[in-house]
Amino acid sequence: MKKIVIVGGGAAGWMTASLLAHFTRGGPTSITLVESEEIGIVGVGEATIPAIHDFNRAIGLDERDFIRQTKATFKLGIEFVNWGRLGDRYFHQFGFHGDRYSEHVDTVYLHHYLLKLWRAGDDSLLEDYCTEAVAARMGRFTWPSREAAPARPPLRYAFQFDAALYAQYLRGFAEKLGVTRVEGKIISVDQRGEDGFIEAVVMENGTRVDGDFFVDCSGFRGLLIEQSLKAGFEDWSHWLPCDRAVAVPCEGLETITPFTRATAHDAGWQWRIPLQHRIGNGHVYSSAFLSDDEAATTLLQTLDGQKLADPRFLRFTAGRRKKLMHKNVAAIGLASGFLEPLESTSIHLIQSGIFRLLNLLPLDHHDPATEDEYNRLGIEEYEHIRDFIILHYCATERTDTPFWNQMRTMDLPDSLRHRIAVFKSRGRVARHVGQLFLEPSWVAVMLGQRLVPDAYHPLLNGVPTAGIATSMAQTRRQIRDTVEKMPLHRDFLDRLVGASRPELSLATP
Amino acid sequence: MRKILIVGGGTAGWMAAAGLAFYTRGRAADIQLIESEEIGTVGVGEATIPPIQQFNNLIGVDLGEFVRQTNATFKLGIEFVNWTRPGHRYFHQFGFHGDQFSDDIESVYLHHHLMKLQQQGDKTDLADYCLEAVAARQGRFALPERGKPPMGPPLQHAYHFDAALYGRYMRSLAEAKGVTRIEGKIVEVHQHGEDGSIAGVTLENGTRHDADFFVDCSGFQGLLIEKTLKCGFEDWSHWLPCDRAVAVPCESTADLAPFTRSTAHKAGWQWRIPLQHRIGNGHVFSSRHMSEDEATAILLKHLDGRPLAEPRLLRFTAGRRKKLMHKNVAAVGLASGFLEPLESTSIHLVQTCIQRLGTLFPLDHPDEATEREFNRLGAAEYEHIRDFIILHYCATERADQPFWTHCRTMELPPSLQHRIDLFKSRGTVARHFGQLFKEPSWVAVFLGQGIVPQTYHPLVDAFPIDEIRQSLGTLRDRIQRYVPTLPRHRDFIARAFPPDVPAAQTRIPA
Repeated sequence: MKKIVIVGGGAAGWMTASLLAHFTRGGPTSITLVESEEIGIVGVGEATIPAIHDFNRAIGLDERDFIRQTKATFKLGIEFVNWGRLGDRYFHQFGFHGDRYSEHVDTVYLHHYLLKLWRAGDDSLLEDYCTEAVAARMGRFTWPSREAAPARPPLRYAFQFDAALYAQYLRGFAEKLGVTRVEGKIISVDQRGEDGFIEAVVMENGTRVDGDFFVDCSGFRGLLIEQSLKAGFEDWSHWLPCDRAVAVPCEGLETITPFTRATAHDAGWQWRIPLQHRIGNGHVYSSAFLSDDEAATTLLQTLDGQKLADPRFLRFTAGRRKKLMHKNVAAIGLASGFLEPLESTSIHLIQSGIFRLLNLLPLDHHDPATEDEYNRLGIEEYEHIRDFIILHYCATERTDTPFWNQMRTMDLPDSLRHRIAVFKSRGRVARHVGQLFLEPSWVAVMLGQRLVPDAYHPLLNGVPTAGIATSMAQTRRQIRDTVEKMPLHRDFLDRLVGASRPELSLATP
Repeated sequence: MRKILIVGGGTAGWMAAAGLAFYTRGRAADIQLIESEEIGTVGVGEATIPPIQQFNNLIGVDLGEFVRQTNATFKLGIEFVNWTRPGHRYFHQFGFHGDQFSDDIESVYLHHHLMKLQQQGDKTDLADYCLEAVAARQGRFALPERGKPPMGPPLQHAYHFDAALYGRYMRSLAEAKGVTRIEGKIVEVHQHGEDGSIAGVTLENGTRHDADFFVDCSGFQGLLIEKTLKCGFEDWSHWLPCDRAVAVPCESTADLAPFTRSTAHKAGWQWRIPLQHRIGNGHVFSSRHMSEDEATAILLKHLDGRPLAEPRLLRFTAGRRKKLMHKNVAAVGLASGFLEPLESTSIHLVQTCIQRLGTLFPLDHPDEATEREFNRLGAAEYEHIRDFIILHYCATERADQPFWTHCRTMELPPSLQHRIDLFKSRGTVARHFGQLFKEPSWVAVFLGQGIVPQTYHPLVDAFPIDEIRQSLGTLRDRIQRYVPTLPRHRDFIARAFPPDVPAAQTRIPA
């Protein structure tokens, strides 16, 4: 493959450029990125999941530098407010509950023990058994180090950052690796007569940028994948009816929470993503149930500080392209589909798409098997995340608005219905190795949304409750002791980005 | 306390007993097993794959005791002879090629780099880059020794053992953990009137045994799952036409191969499984293409030593039960289905079924969601292994027999066709997390069976060719230097497992 052209900048475009350039350097492939400064990017505060480390490490980013440049904060999970019932709160943590967890070894997960204790009157919460959740509640954070948490596994964390700054940061990185940036607006796309493959994009000034393979990072419109190649769209709005968001940044607080918050409203939910210098906020809602004005009003009324810009509106439809790769085009980011950022998966979908592209890097000739494999894996991932997001809406006791009544009673995808049934009857999370969200995540959300199993694991029959209670109490105590020794998130960040206090040495992970 | 009744002994039955006894720890359920000494078990030499170590560790097997009691030897993989074309051999190793491999991390697997070198005239073979394959070729094996710094990376391995002796060993472990054995032949199965679930069984002597949950280890017949609950059978014989095997043990040879050999014949293939005291042999064949007499004659002609018993005939059909769990019954082992032992997966299928039963341990009442989950996972595993086995038959150049022509030209399951297409075009193994056979296995068999990709991974071109040549050369040298320091397989067993050393001095490798 000689020439790869990335159409569109933003986080998707520049992440693609960076990773491809990093791995193809020294080879015959050249990479060009076409973007226009006129076309804005969707640069609201962005929350991520721990998999972002894989990406940053793959291209060799220095974590400290990255944190400074993107105004990043640390994230230990998401707090969900008002989802199961009005007034409810639960925490979906990174990491797991209890002392150890491996995806590859099947064990009786901690919640089974907790279910048994609950029946005996215990009132501890699932999150009490998770270091990340307890640290989040106490506003504390530290980088993994043996000194910080001798008895506990290291904190699993991700970042909250400014996606526009991240794109800018990666642009510098990619350009250093030899990626050519072409500024300008695309006015037309040239397709080959006989088979419709993309030959080139034509710029406003008449320049023609041709390539052997194109990565469509043009956002919702899908300039190549949809407008040119007509891949088609699989609409999931019957399961995920939210189709609008209104976003606004506001002033930050003294305390910086090391987590994202998702607060359910009457017809949608609101994100709160604290960055170093401000807080990103947005209200995702269904236009069938709520007007734009109402949505903006709710958002502005619930900010933690002075708004720093005018609210901006976004429109979208939940779903994915029927093909994520087609002919000589792969769609990455919003061009490939949209799932609301309830579980902070937008950047992840970009990154896993790029890794997949790298692994299935286009050959010199068109290969249908490559296309099939790319689409099979991408679709599987989209559907998995879709199910996890739907779960938050359908597992609820809320009956206070028509929106929630619809969500509570809608027909579910078979895959999700099965998951819920297995959990409901026995607290078991249906096993799918290698999926993004693993048992600890499903358990946290299912229990958090008041989906309480009818039975705990039958192997706990005959295990004395008193013994379980003792060891569970010990785990809770150990976690509290560990977390209490951690610095406050704000202090940790100040030391890290301030860099003006040499007496403090921070362990790099 | 709830009662679980295992119907049938043999390897599957006693593995289930030992496994479930471990899970329940004598608290969560009461476990009984019914078997009849009259009904023989299919006790040929059995080859396994590395996950058996997990199972052994799970139930607390002592390695020394296990090796002595089952006449076990060590296995580093399978040598396939005559599969691609007569006279051809390749090795499907345990472990991987190169320095490191992780199922969780995408990387450019070694064969891509090797393909580029080979295009430039390099004559080395994929197996040269695999520690296990080289050790197997040289007949060497060793486990890391306790208390000594390791001499080199541990060899990924499994075992060959006498399945009947393994079953007996499992029985001793299970009985020590409180499993009760009931001797007798079942003459009647009782079902609950309202929902058809199993209530109990009556033995020839008139005693009746009831339970809450039943594990059907009755073998091919599927006494509960099929004869009683009529789950149905998904027949795969259009893809796997072999439906007979004739088996015979023979005298051992001086040297003990640390691998299984599978030799393709006119209408099937022959296994060779070396145990400490003898060699297990069997000829798996298609009765549509070959008579039993001819199959027996071929088998006897290809023994390494004098036969030690009369050849025994087995009949089977490739496929699986449509439901592996139904109502209050789970089928384990041959009662759940059959796949020929070409990749030594029989014991593994027993083991995963038991482990699945542990995680989805029966509730007080039959639960549809549990049943669906159990069946979904079991079916996915069966299909994955099925595809891998079919690959050996369909990817062949052999045109010398009607059997091979059928296999070469048959229509494949779409899942396998996709895998083959993808490998053919770019050497990439389709990604499926958590499956039994991972990239190193598929690559070894694809290349071994003569599927040569049109191109290597395009990212290989980002590396200077000299750098690739040098790093692969270093790898090969390291293996070449290390393997001769290992003892011969037979010497290792004699030294590490002398008959009179107390069990406590040996250990199970991590």
